[in-house]
Amino acid sequence: MPEAITPLIRAPWRRRSRAGAWALAALGLISTGVQARAEDTSIGVYSGRHYNSDQKLYQQFTTQTGIQVKLLEAKDDSLIERLRQEGKNTPADVLVLVDAARLERATSLDLLQPARSATLLRTIPPNLRDSKGRWVALTRRVRVVLVNPALVKATSIRTYGDLANPALKGKVCLRDRKSVYNQSLVASQLLLRGEAQTQSWLKAMTSNVTQPYFSSDIPLIRALAKGQCGVGLVNTYYLARLLNGEAGPADRALARKLQVVFPKPAHVNISGAGITRYAKNPQGALKLIEFLASPVGGKGYAEANHEYPLKGFGDDPILKGMGRFQADGLSAEQLGSRNRDAVKLMEANGWL
Amino acid sequence: MSAPSPQARRPRPGQSLSDSPTEAIRSAGPDRRARALPLLLRSPPEPWPLALAVALVALLALAPLAALALLAVQGEALPSLQLEAQGLSPLAHTLTLVVGVGCAGGLIGTCNGWLTARCQFPGRRWLRLAQLLPLATPSYLLAGTLIDLGSRSGLRIAGPGWAMAILTLGTYSYVVLLSSEAFSRSGARQQEVCRSLAVGPWGSFLRVALPLALPAVTAGVALGAMEVINEFGAVQLLGVPTLSAAILERWQGEGDLPGAVGLALVTLALVALLLWSERQGRSRSRLWAAGQEGASPELWPLEGWRCWLAQLVTLAPPLASLAIPLIWIGSSWDQLPAQAIGDLVALGLRSLALALGATGLTIGAALVLSIGKRLVKAPLVRALADGAALGYAIPGTVLALGFLVLGGGWGLAPLLLLVWGYVDRFLAVAKGGLDTALEGLAPSVDEAAQSLGCNWIALVGRIQLPLLRGPLLVAGVLVFVDTVKELPLTFALRPFDFDTLAVRVYQYASDERLGAALIPALVILLLGLVAAMALMPSLDQQIPDPQALPRRPIPTAKPNP
Repeated sequence: MPEAITPLIRAPWRRRSRAGAWALAALGLISTGVQARAEDTSIGVYSGRHYNSDQKLYQQFTTQTGIQVKLLEAKDDSLIERLRQEGKNTPADVLVLVDAARLERATSLDLLQPARSATLLRTIPPNLRDSKGRWVALTRRVRVVLVNPALVKATSIRTYGDLANPALKGKVCLRDRKSVYNQSLVASQLLLRGEAQTQSWLKAMTSNVTQPYFSSDIPLIRALAKGQCGVGLVNTYYLARLLNGEAGPADRALARKLQVVFPKPAHVNISGAGITRYAKNPQGALKLIEFLASPVGGKGYAEANHEYPLKGFGDDPILKGMGRFQADGLSAEQLGSRNRDAVKLMEANGWL
Repeated sequence: MSAPSPQARRPRPGQSLSDSPTEAIRSAGPDRRARALPLLLRSPPEPWPLALAVALVALLALAPLAALALLAVQGEALPSLQLEAQGLSPLAHTLTLVVGVGCAGGLIGTCNGWLTARCQFPGRRWLRLAQLLPLATPSYLLAGTLIDLGSRSGLRIAGPGWAMAILTLGTYSYVVLLSSEAFSRSGARQQEVCRSLAVGPWGSFLRVALPLALPAVTAGVALGAMEVINEFGAVQLLGVPTLSAAILERWQGEGDLPGAVGLALVTLALVALLLWSERQGRSRSRLWAAGQEGASPELWPLEGWRCWLAQLVTLAPPLASLAIPLIWIGSSWDQLPAQAIGDLVALGLRSLALALGATGLTIGAALVLSIGKRLVKAPLVRALADGAALGYAIPGTVLALGFLVLGGGWGLAPLLLLVWGYVDRFLAVAKGGLDTALEGLAPSVDEAAQSLGCNWIALVGRIQLPLLRGPLLVAGVLVFVDTVKELPLTFALRPFDFDTLAVRVYQYASDERLGAALIPALVILLLGLVAAMALMPSLDQQIPDPQALPRRPIPTAKPNP
C-alpha cells in the first residue's frame, strides 16, 4: 500500500479501536458486579425493606457466622415475580417482604419452604408466623389514628369505626388505597366486623374525606399539624421519625402538636421472612432468619426504623412515649387471605 | 453483494439527479418522484443481510412482548380486561395527560428548539445545553420534592394539573433536541431563498423551517406521549389514576397478574394504532430538505425585549427542574445525611458503565432498524422495524416481567438481561430521531449514490452515516440520560449488590427519606449535564457537505443583513 494513503486508512481504525476500548472498559466495570457463587459460605437475600440499618445488621450476622450476605432490595411484588420466574435457577435463599398480604401471596405461589426450627417455634407467637412454618414475622408496625387536638377531641375516637362519625365531615384525611397499610387495615376490619359493617364504615368514612387523597404518610402528618385536617391514619414509625428530628426541627415541632390514638383493638401489620423453595443454602438461610428473629437481630431490625418488636413494646423511647396498644390478635395469614376483597371493597366505596 | 445492473449505473440523459442549488426545498406528492426513477434504476438488489439484521433485532426486541402475551393468556382471558369499577376514568386521565403534555411539550419544545438553534442572544449556547437538564431529573423525584415542599408550606400539590406540568417538564427536552437538530440542519441556502422571497424571521420559521422540522417535532411529541403512558411514579404520587396505575393496581393490589399484563398489551395496541395513523397521515405530505446544505445559516440576532423573552423562555424549564431539588436541599440542609463518597462513586460507576453499554447497543440496533427500513422495500421488514420500538409504551414494571419470564426460563445472567431490557425500552428514543433524520433526506441522495455504483454498504458507510452524525449524537445522549435515570427495569432485573444511582434515589424517596435521595439524584443530573456538554459543540457544527468538496457549483453569496 502506498505510503501516503496509509494514514488516511488508519485514522478511522484508530478511532474505532478507541471506541472498542471504551466498550471493553464498560464491560469490565459491569463484570466487577458479577461474582462467582460461593455455595456454602454465602446466602442470597431478596428484600422488600429499604433501610440502611438493615445492611449493618447483615454485616453483624456475617461477622458472627462467617456467612456472606448478598443483598438485592426491590419492590415486594417484583421480587415475588422474579422468584417465581427464576424457579429452580434462583440465587435467592431468603425472601424478606413487607406486609402480611405479600407474604401470603408468596406462600400461595409456593415460593417458600417450611423452616424446621424449634427456636423459631418457641420465640415467635403463633399469630405472627405461617401455620406451616413457611415464613415468620420479624417486626410489627401499627396503623394508628392521629389527631390534631385543636380540631378534634382525642377522646372522641376509640376505634377505627369512629372515623365514620358524620361530625368529622371534612376533617378526615387518608392516604390512597394503593398503600398496602390501608389495604391490610381494611382486611382486618373485614375479619373483625364482617363485610356488611365494613362496607357501611368505608362508605361513611370516605364521605367524610373532602380533600384529595395523600400518596404518602409524612405530608399527611404535616397537613394534620397545620390544621388542614383534624384526624388521619398513619403508621407510627413515620411520626416517630419526625419526633426524633430526622426531618429537621421544623417537622419535629409540627409532630409534637399531634396526639396518637391507638384504636382498640389496634391493627398490626408485619414485615417477615422465609426460606425460598429452591434455596441453595437452606441452612445458612435458616441461620439468618433465626438471627433476625432473635432478641439482638429483632431489636436491630425494629429499632432503626422505630418499629415494634414481635413481643412487648420495645425500648424505643419515642414509641414508649406514644403509649401501649392492644393488638387485634389477627394472624398475618388471615389478613393476607382477605387482601383482595379489601381492595375491591375500598374501590367500590370511594377510597381513591 | 452483486453489482448493480448496468442500467442502474447510467443516469438517463438529461435527468439531473442532484438538485439545482437554488432549489433548497423539495416537496413531492406520494413518492411520485421516487417511483419514477426506479423504472430506470430498477431493482438495486435488496440488501438481504440488512433485512436479516432487521429481523434479528426485531426478534430480540419483540421477544419480551411475546413473553408478556404468554403471561396474559394464562389468565381468565378477555372478560377480565374491562376496567371494572373505575370505568373509563383511567383512560380519560391518560388521554388528558397525553394531549396536555403533548401540546405544552410540543409548543415549548419547538419554541426553545428554534430559539437555541437559529436565534442569537447572550447565553444561547449554555441555554441550549441546559435544555437537557429537565430530562435528567427523574419525574418521581421532582413530584416527590414538590409535594414535600408544598406540604411544609401548607400547599396541597396533587391532581392532573400538576402531573401535566411535571411531565411536560420531563419530556419537552425530546422535542427540543430533535427539533433543534432539524433546525440546525437547514442551512444558509434555505435562509437565502427565504430572504430572496422577502420572507422574514417569522415567516421563515412558520412557513419553511417548521414544516421541514415537523417530523422531528412529532417524533419528539410521540416519545413524550409514550413516556406519559408508561409513567407511573410521578402520577401515583400526585394521585392521578392513569392507565399505568390501573395496570399496576390490577397486579399488585388485586393479585391479577394476567389481567394486568393483558391491560398493558391492550394499551400497547392502542399506542401502536395511534403511531401508525400519525405516520399514515404524514406520509402524504412528505418534505425533503435537499440534504446538501452548504454553509451554516446566519443566526437571527435578537435584541431588547425579544432577547429578554428568549432568555426567559429557554431558561425557565431547566431552572424549574434544577431549582425544585435545590430549594429542597437549601431548606433542609441539616437533614442531608453524610454519604460515603466511596459508595457514591461505586453507584455512579455502575450507572455510567450500564448506560454506556446500553447506549452503544441501542444506537446500533436503532441504526439497523432505521436504515433497514429505508433500504429494504419489503413491507414485512418495514413493519418489523416499526413494531420493534414499541416496548417504550409499556410501563417499565410490566416490561420487566417479560424479561423475568425470558431470563428465568433460560437462567440468563441478570446483567445481560438488564442491558437487553434497556435496549428494548429505549430503542424508540434512538430510532425516533434517526427515522426523522433519514426521512428528511431525499431519496434522490440514495439514488444518486446507487447510480454511481455504490452498493448498499458503501451507501450506508459513505453517505448515510456521515449525514446522520448529528442525529446519532442526539440519540446517543437521549438514550444515555434516559438509561442513567431508568428505574423499573433496573430495580427488577439487577443482580445482587448492584445498586445504581436511580435505584438508590428511589429507595430513599419511596421510604419518604428525601434528604438521602437527593445526593444520588444530583449525581444523575451531573452525568446528564456532562453528556449534554459532549453533544453541544458538534451540534453547532455543520454536517459534512458532499458538494463542498471538489465541485461546488456556485459560491454562496453572503446574505444581506
